[in-house]
Amino acid sequence: MTALAALVPLSVVLYQSFLNAPLTAAGTQLGLEAYRSVFGDEDFAVAVGTTLLLSSCMTLIAVPLGSVLAFLMVRTDLPARAWLEPVILIPVVVSTLVLAFGYVFAIGPSGILTTWFKAGTGLQAWNLHSLSIIVVIAGLLHVPYVYVYAATELRGLDSAHEEVARASGARPWKVALDVSLPMATPAIFFAGVLVFFLGFELFGLPLVLGSPDGVLVLTTYLFKLPGKAMLPPYQLMAVVAAIMVAIAMPLVLMLRILLREPQRYVWSHSNAKPAAPLKLGHWRWPAFVAVALWLGAAVLVPLGGLILRSFAGTDGEGVALWKSLGLGHYRDLLQHADIVRSVVNTLEIGLIGGAAAVTFYAAVALAIRRWRSRWTRAVDVLITVARAMPGLVAGLAILLTLLFFKPIASLRHTLISVWLGYAVVWLATGMRLVSTALLKFSPELQDAARSMGASSARVHLDVTLPLLRTGILASWLVILLIFVREYATAVFLLGPGTEVVGSLLVSLWGAGATDLVAALAVINVGMIGLGLLVAGGLGVRLHG
Amino acid sequence: MADLSINDLALRYGDRETLKGVSVTVPAGKAVALLGPSGSGKTSLLRAVAGLETPYRGSICIGDNVLFDAAAQLDQPPEARGLGLVFQNYALWPHRTVYENIAYGLKLRHVRSAEITRRVEDALERIGLAHLAKHYPHQLSGGQQQRVALARALIYEPAVILLDEPLANLDMKLREEARAWLRHLIVSLKLSALLVTHDQIEAMAIADSMALLNEGRFEQQGSPIELYTKPATLFAAEFMGNNNRLEGTLVEHADQRAVIEVMGARLEGISRTTAAIGGKATGIIRLEKVILGGGPGANRLLMTLKAQMYVGERWELLFAKEALMIRTYVSAPLKHELYHVEFPPHAMWIF
Repeated sequence: MTALAALVPLSVVLYQSFLNAPLTAAGTQLGLEAYRSVFGDEDFAVAVGTTLLLSSCMTLIAVPLGSVLAFLMVRTDLPARAWLEPVILIPVVVSTLVLAFGYVFAIGPSGILTTWFKAGTGLQAWNLHSLSIIVVIAGLLHVPYVYVYAATELRGLDSAHEEVARASGARPWKVALDVSLPMATPAIFFAGVLVFFLGFELFGLPLVLGSPDGVLVLTTYLFKLPGKAMLPPYQLMAVVAAIMVAIAMPLVLMLRILLREPQRYVWSHSNAKPAAPLKLGHWRWPAFVAVALWLGAAVLVPLGGLILRSFAGTDGEGVALWKSLGLGHYRDLLQHADIVRSVVNTLEIGLIGGAAAVTFYAAVALAIRRWRSRWTRAVDVLITVARAMPGLVAGLAILLTLLFFKPIASLRHTLISVWLGYAVVWLATGMRLVSTALLKFSPELQDAARSMGASSARVHLDVTLPLLRTGILASWLVILLIFVREYATAVFLLGPGTEVVGSLLVSLWGAGATDLVAALAVINVGMIGLGLLVAGGLGVRLHG
Repeated sequence: MADLSINDLALRYGDRETLKGVSVTVPAGKAVALLGPSGSGKTSLLRAVAGLETPYRGSICIGDNVLFDAAAQLDQPPEARGLGLVFQNYALWPHRTVYENIAYGLKLRHVRSAEITRRVEDALERIGLAHLAKHYPHQLSGGQQQRVALARALIYEPAVILLDEPLANLDMKLREEARAWLRHLIVSLKLSALLVTHDQIEAMAIADSMALLNEGRFEQQGSPIELYTKPATLFAAEFMGNNNRLEGTLVEHADQRAVIEVMGARLEGISRTTAAIGGKATGIIRLEKVILGGGPGANRLLMTLKAQMYVGERWELLFAKEALMIRTYVSAPLKHELYHVEFPPHAMWIF
């Protein structure tokens, strides 16, 4: 099953990349023509360069900020830590696509803040669509990823290490620099590689912010390849997709190795209570202001812009914003059958699709635990391979697969195609979630039941499932949120009947329907917010 | 060098009173062991001395240097107290080599680098790990890590060294070696040390004097011999050594002697009780003090031999009479079923 899910779409993409025409066309031949054509394209070379630049620069921004943020949050008496925690994670749970819309509405050329700025100062405003600003925004938005990993590591750190350092005469800041942060280095390094990889996959942000000035990255290059052609040049798209997988693969493998590397920093836990938070003294409020500034730039500006815009009548300059507020755009949404359908579809794919995906992941995870053989390694590798497909590529791969295997081609027009894409793209994440839940209870509990005479099935029924219920439920909620947020995977699968909010947002934005985009994006945020509330109520922690 | 004195220290976590006003002195050049069951507050006391916990009452001084005084609202941060600290898990910094771990305290004190090299190399030589200077902690065995942790805490010559279960993570054989090594170190370097342990053998072997903690209060303080041979309370008597417990009724009480009645027999012992005649009382006697008499007699009970266990060098015996169980040691196994078990009056305490 796993093999089918991960390998088949990838093979079809590879096969297509070596054809000289779309596989749906008649009389295709094998050859390297498509590769020559792509490598000959100047735009492609530029896109590769931009992608690398974007990924590296945003990593350089996100890693130091995220590490410092984690230290401030976990180890110090920073004010208001309790309510900062969930707010910090907003850029992780809301898609970069939606946040990108928000930035355009807030600080784009005719954005709300830009207009005020120009009216207030009479100066020329900044250009949101320049590469440097995109890089900065991408960097700021990925701070939480670093934060999550660094904070987890810092929390698990035995405070004895810090206490000994203090007893030998080190001041709090010295302790942070000499002991705490160096000890969290493996996690921070992992987060750095992850952010680089995410930057490579980034689609919504460069699409929305980069397009006006022609800033192209690999994902947007792939997205724009079909152009205005009647029959999309699948062979060229497959080439780009194959190249992207080839670049992603070493990154994903690196992440895996980093995760698996035996922790040389493992120490027996002392029963001492966690250290009292370091007192920041008169640095307390400056540190808070710094965090608040980041939150303002990464959360408040885009979300504020988005929400205001969704209620505003127009976005022209000089129009009194406050007077035009109303629910007009939301009423307009109801006029479009495809939009209403997309909301319903998104809910379906989140609730039902999410449950189906988690069931699938759980089955695979349980099977892996049972076998404990060579197969385990094989499945492990397959999961890694699946992760190397950026969402956009996975969507394309599923589309090509469905076109290739005629008997199941009709699935293309159903939500199942979208679900397949989602399930494959989030296979690694889902497996990790479920496996964590599985690992929480020891195999001895099962062994004990077995030795008392329970059959394998009974053990699962009476011991495994009851113990796993909360863990599985939590996994389902996280997957649900991810599926509601997802957009890139569904873009190439978009058609009547397969609309989801994410892909429809991309398509509406392309069509210039900004009013509808604003309102629909807010609805998307609302759905995620609702899911988060439920998750919070159940005590589920969300990790990117 | 000056004495470390702790006066009437009280500490609470939330509404749980961890320390209820304890006073103890560590004389210069001596080692004091804080002994007690888990949850007795011994680690909290050590952490309070280190400055890692903030008591709400009492004071901590080293000579004239006041480290903490609740009344004067004086609380020096840990880094200003100039103490050495060794944890149970050693807490060696995994990202620094053995050399760097030991040198850190000197670096913080801005010692010249040539001097640092000399002193660290000296220390490494002394703990016998000179060849491992460039290694990282995870490449060391438990015993080696423990020595590095000690060297790291001693390198800047702290006024007092605080040891939190320093031997608990070593396995049995290593622990006995390390115990002797640590005692030798304390004696030869004239260290002032405050040691936390739950292992009485360790406390007795390493420390010059002991303080037995129970639920945030000291039960008894004194030399190891005092604590072992002259327990002041039932808790102290039962905590130290391996004991038999005889529940009975107090029938006589005069001066230092008391007599309890257990299953119709009169057993005399050293009085530690405040109970009235006719009240309940408990006799405590160490396993090794119980002897076997040839026939009926004073302070003897007729008991049935239930089990014999070979525990190396000697045999441990289990006798029973109804619900009463008594254990003792002999050098050779026994053959009969019934024995007159004797509880010598000078070896039994009655509480």
